[in-house]
Amino acid sequence: MGRYRKYVSIARTSLEITFVYRAGFVLNMLGTIFYVVAMFYLWQTIFLGSSNALGGFTWPEMKAYLLVSFLLNSLMTWFAEWNMSMDIKEGRVATDLARPMDFQASRMATAFGPVPFEFFSALVVGAIVATVFGGIALPADPLHLVVFLFSAFLATLIKFGLVYCVSMTAFWTTGIDGIMVGRVAIQNIFSGALIPLVFFPDWLRAIAAVLPFQGMISTPALTYLGKMDGPTTALMICVQAVWAVGLILLGRLVWRGAVRAVTINGG
Amino acid sequence: MALIEARGLTKKFRQAVKEPGLVGSLKHFFTRQYRDKLAVDHIDLTVEAGESVAYLGPNGAGKSTTIKMLTGILVPTSGGLVVNGLVPHEKRQQNARNIGVVFGQRTQLWWDIPVIESFNLARDMYEIPVKRYKENLAQFTEILGLDEFMNLPAGKISLGQRMRADLCMALLHDPRTLYLDEPTIGLDIAVKDSIRRFVRSLVVERGTTVMLTTHDLGDIEDICKRIVIIDNGRIIHDGDLAKLKDTYARDRVIHFQLVRPPESIEPICAGLPACELTADGMRLSVRFDRFEFAAGEIAAAVMRHVEVEDFHIDEPEVEDLIRRVYLGQLSLESTDDSAAAAAPSPVEA
Repeated sequence: MGRYRKYVSIARTSLEITFVYRAGFVLNMLGTIFYVVAMFYLWQTIFLGSSNALGGFTWPEMKAYLLVSFLLNSLMTWFAEWNMSMDIKEGRVATDLARPMDFQASRMATAFGPVPFEFFSALVVGAIVATVFGGIALPADPLHLVVFLFSAFLATLIKFGLVYCVSMTAFWTTGIDGIMVGRVAIQNIFSGALIPLVFFPDWLRAIAAVLPFQGMISTPALTYLGKMDGPTTALMICVQAVWAVGLILLGRLVWRGAVRAVTINGG
Repeated sequence: MALIEARGLTKKFRQAVKEPGLVGSLKHFFTRQYRDKLAVDHIDLTVEAGESVAYLGPNGAGKSTTIKMLTGILVPTSGGLVVNGLVPHEKRQQNARNIGVVFGQRTQLWWDIPVIESFNLARDMYEIPVKRYKENLAQFTEILGLDEFMNLPAGKISLGQRMRADLCMALLHDPRTLYLDEPTIGLDIAVKDSIRRFVRSLVVERGTTVMLTTHDLGDIEDICKRIVIIDNGRIIHDGDLAKLKDTYARDRVIHFQLVRPPESIEPICAGLPACELTADGMRLSVRFDRFEFAAGEIAAAVMRHVEVEDFHIDEPEVEDLIRRVYLGQLSLESTDDSAAAAAPSPVEA
């Protein structure tokens, strides 16, 4: 514990700062609510046009999928990425580096600090939306819920790994904003946040399968719904774990290259 | 072994070069061109424990780059560097425990949370024993007067308050070495004074080694005994302040206020060879080498010709001296040179 106490403190401080930026948090939340409601109506129209399940999804399952997607998207907002890349761009990392801390670990603590609060808020909002719309599929088996929570944790790790790597590009480029927007766009398509991957044409699904993004929404959402059999679930969770570890290690590698090759801005 | 030992320390940066205008930008978009810049160019520097060193130089001379290498933030391109027995960039975290860093231009405090909570975070980050933390916090709070804004977020306090809090934050873990990068920039005289006094007391009472970069020469005279000047990435002077003055600030100027304008200054000039006279109405100034003449001789020589109402002598300003060094009017080649100037050099056979 002793060695990690500092990171726990960092995480707690990060959570505290989320409360300071109350308005920002609420607005961000409102944005995602607006989005999830729009998606609900969009899919409702699609499902109303057909009497049967689409792509193996019934309408209650689709609603559950959208809510899970909303929940996962609420965790670790773009603030984490924005702050990290701005710290690099404006040279504030120099102060981080003058401290006896592992840079990635302290950034991870900062990113994960607000997660419990974000999770709880999204749960409340999700419950309200679920009540209003009604007929949301619940996990058929409590075990699905447990597996889902683990998968959701891995999804957040993947997100951190990705966000960290993307932020690192701020060392080389000043156009970090564009890169961040690009990251979100690609992620929204290939994670299954907009459309479940099952609706993709084969070639696009093949691409999605080799990218890390599906582990961010699709895999946890499908474990929640119990859409995959046991061995497939195990495999997909392993894939998630490999991406999480891989991206975090990649981040360390990129970081090492960055501090060697690049100047730290500002004086 | 010295606390800081740098041998041939060098840092090369790659800068992107872009031709001006739209065409230049377009060209840069397709073919990037770079140019190497030597920010720090083979410097040798030794600092003993307990020393207080001012590290000066014009903007862009390589001061901050050196400090960043010493603190382990930047990796040197070449050369050897050992600080407190460690190679800073290899053992960055371990090195960070031994040092305190204050950057005048940016704060270490968390912007959004009360100052005291930033301190508590420092306690956890540096794993400071609770008892020691409390003692240090109490002492610094009293000396630096932090009480009045301890519960305000760093974003809501004034620059002077922020600097004092930053100093406290950098010192809670009893660092052996304190790096101050322009600590008094933008501060009012009163805060500058209290900060200088505080740092001076650290050197004297705690034996903290201080390395200071600044453009404010008051900082140097109050805190540092030794001055290292860097320009274009090279150390051009390393020695103590008094010697710098003796060696290079040989000129003094006496200003006379005359009773009536002199008819001619020719006769006075004749009596004072190698001196520079300027007359302007009722005023007369004489610049002289203080090793050639005593001030009294000058005054006597002037008073033989004109009636003097009042006079005063300008002391050499360190500021002026360093300005001349920066402008290249004085070349302080190395300590060898200044030693040679201080002692008459033997005539070579």
